[in-house]
Amino acid sequence: MTSSLELGPITRALMRNKLGVVLIALQIAFTMTVIVNAIDIIHDRTLKITSPTGMEEDDIFSIRSFGFDSSINAQVLIDEDLDMIRQLPGVVDASRVNAVPASGSGSSSGYAIEPGRRELTVPAAQYSVDEHALNTMGLTLVAGRDFTPEDVRRRTATETRSADQIIVSLALAEEMFPGEGLQAVGRTIYSAEDKPLRIIGIVERLQSPWPNATDWIVERSLMIPDVVIDNSSIYLVRTVPGQRDALMADVEERLAGAGYDRILMNNKSVAQMRTELYRMDTAMARVLYTVIGTLIFITALGIIGLAVFSINKRRKQIGTRRALGATRGGILRYLLVENLLISAAGVLFGAVLTIGFNIFLVRTFDIPRLDWYYAPLGMLVLLLLGQMAALGPAVNASRVAPAQAISPSH
Amino acid sequence: MLNMININKRFRTELVQTQALADFSLEVKEGEFVTVTGPSGCGKTTFLNIAGLLETFDSGQYLLDGQDVSHMNDYQRAKLRNQKIGFIFQSFNLMPDLNLFDNVDVPLRYRGMGAAERRERIERALESVGLLARKKHLPSQLSGGQQQRVAIARALVGEPRFLLADEPTGNLDSNTAAGVMELLQEINQQGTTIIMVTHDVGLASRSARNVHILDGRIQSDVINSDVINSESTAA
Ligand SMILES: Nc1ncnc2c1ncn2[C@@H]1O[C@H](COP(=O)(O)OP(=O)(O)O)[C@@H](O)[C@H]1O
Ligand SMILES: [Mg+2]
Repeated sequence: MTSSLELGPITRALMRNKLGVVLIALQIAFTMTVIVNAIDIIHDRTLKITSPTGMEEDDIFSIRSFGFDSSINAQVLIDEDLDMIRQLPGVVDASRVNAVPASGSGSSSGYAIEPGRRELTVPAAQYSVDEHALNTMGLTLVAGRDFTPEDVRRRTATETRSADQIIVSLALAEEMFPGEGLQAVGRTIYSAEDKPLRIIGIVERLQSPWPNATDWIVERSLMIPDVVIDNSSIYLVRTVPGQRDALMADVEERLAGAGYDRILMNNKSVAQMRTELYRMDTAMARVLYTVIGTLIFITALGIIGLAVFSINKRRKQIGTRRALGATRGGILRYLLVENLLISAAGVLFGAVLTIGFNIFLVRTFDIPRLDWYYAPLGMLVLLLLGQMAALGPAVNASRVAPAQAISPSH
Repeated sequence: MLNMININKRFRTELVQTQALADFSLEVKEGEFVTVTGPSGCGKTTFLNIAGLLETFDSGQYLLDGQDVSHMNDYQRAKLRNQKIGFIFQSFNLMPDLNLFDNVDVPLRYRGMGAAERRERIERALESVGLLARKKHLPSQLSGGQQQRVAIARALVGEPRFLLADEPTGNLDSNTAAGVMELLQEINQQGTTIIMVTHDVGLASRSARNVHILDGRIQSDVINSDVINSESTAA
């Protein structure tokens, strides 16, 4: 077992078969480039897909009621509906909102820290809510206070907004008042109409209705106790754990049976909203997984193919080596070291390509930069892949009979 | 040195069974130069393969250097080949992608010898066949005769007691072949036992001992004392 690794002779022999070596090394390099960057993108998407809205997502659903009976007082209908829902056993709380996080639809506006400085606005999602919203969503208040019933201003769509207190997400507070964090309670920001809005509370997290967007409002949101009374309502309902699906059906049935002319729609759990919202991202991740799988397969086939070809071509050489004293283990080691050297050239070039391609992706598609360990890990994985692919043919080669040295064929 | 007793070797294919060696017995003493002749298919290569531990046999006993090798496993036989036996092949069997130095290095690598000692031995072996100056050349840059000299250097570099050659001059023109033969005789005179399979009847008749095989058996075994004398005088 004292025989050397033969690194020198193997390298020199490979240098005389540059074409085959270069082709396989390039294939390994390209595979590594695509795989590492694809995994980076998948990782980015997965982070996004799994990022929490800040709500007690598992137990929340929404339902939209669109009434078209103009003889009915909208405020009465809303109060009746919400009272009925809140009294159902298993319901924790219910609230009427203008939009639901991660639902894909809502409204946003630009806010500034000084009046009249529109060039400094920060866009944020805006939730118009009543005093039940924070509890219904299950948000975590980290500073200040929740809305009281007195804070809530009700108005018709034609009346101007009078609410002037807001609860903001911590992300929005930090964006507008860098370094102040929770101390931003009591600060004032200005709406698009230059109306002052005082921050009375900060929630740890509240995503916008579009958290799937790459370069748009994701975490910056505010809630304002400004309720516009009309005949279109989105009711948000939180249930005790495990009761959501049963209550979704129950609430819909009761609203339908309440005796008013209306259409009920979008009866959806937050989980369903997420699935729909992230459909593209999930599909993209799936496509990338397929690309990765296919590339690994093709590269493995390439390595196996080259190994089988180069071994068949060298049966007599291998027999001769056996005759000159190589053990089976010696032949196996020779071929695996040979593969390792080719793969090493491939992954070294691959590392350069991987990082270059990532820089291109970062600049062009706003893909995040690779973490430092991606390239080294990719190199290791491809080296192992190479060894695994070469193992079968190398084991076969180690079984070439020593008498093949003399065999007249080959 | 080499002692085969009643060796039998059969090859079975789906269609036929060939008795390549039948009750084959032969004793070769240390320092002998034995040529092996016989018609094509008589079993010469099979004999050489078994003698060189490249092939196993079905029955009989084979003592190499007093050691019974009949039941050795693949690993032990590889080690023993590496230490005791040098091979010379009809088609040289050099590694086409390695230069002469690396080619001669091959058996030493399997011996796990240090780099300095390997270098010294390789250069001495290449020197002895007159090709040291071309150690960086590839086999393809040499003539057939030169390639066979490299192969001889490779066979000798590990200082084996025992050299096996299967028609080493079969691919060479007669002048070159004579040169290679001279080299082999020189090596033999320095003490290495040589067994050489050849088609060249003239060459065989001039050798010290000629074993003629027919249908897997020894048909004649002729010792020619004149040759030994003339060779020693020639030396
Ligand atoms: N690997 C093998 N498989 C089947 N038959 C073989 C094999 N090797 C040799 N033989 C047969 O054994 C006999 C002896 O072959 P061989 O020793 O190569 O003869 P020679 O070298 O004298 O020409 C021949 O009939 C040959 O066909
Ligand atoms: Mg033969």
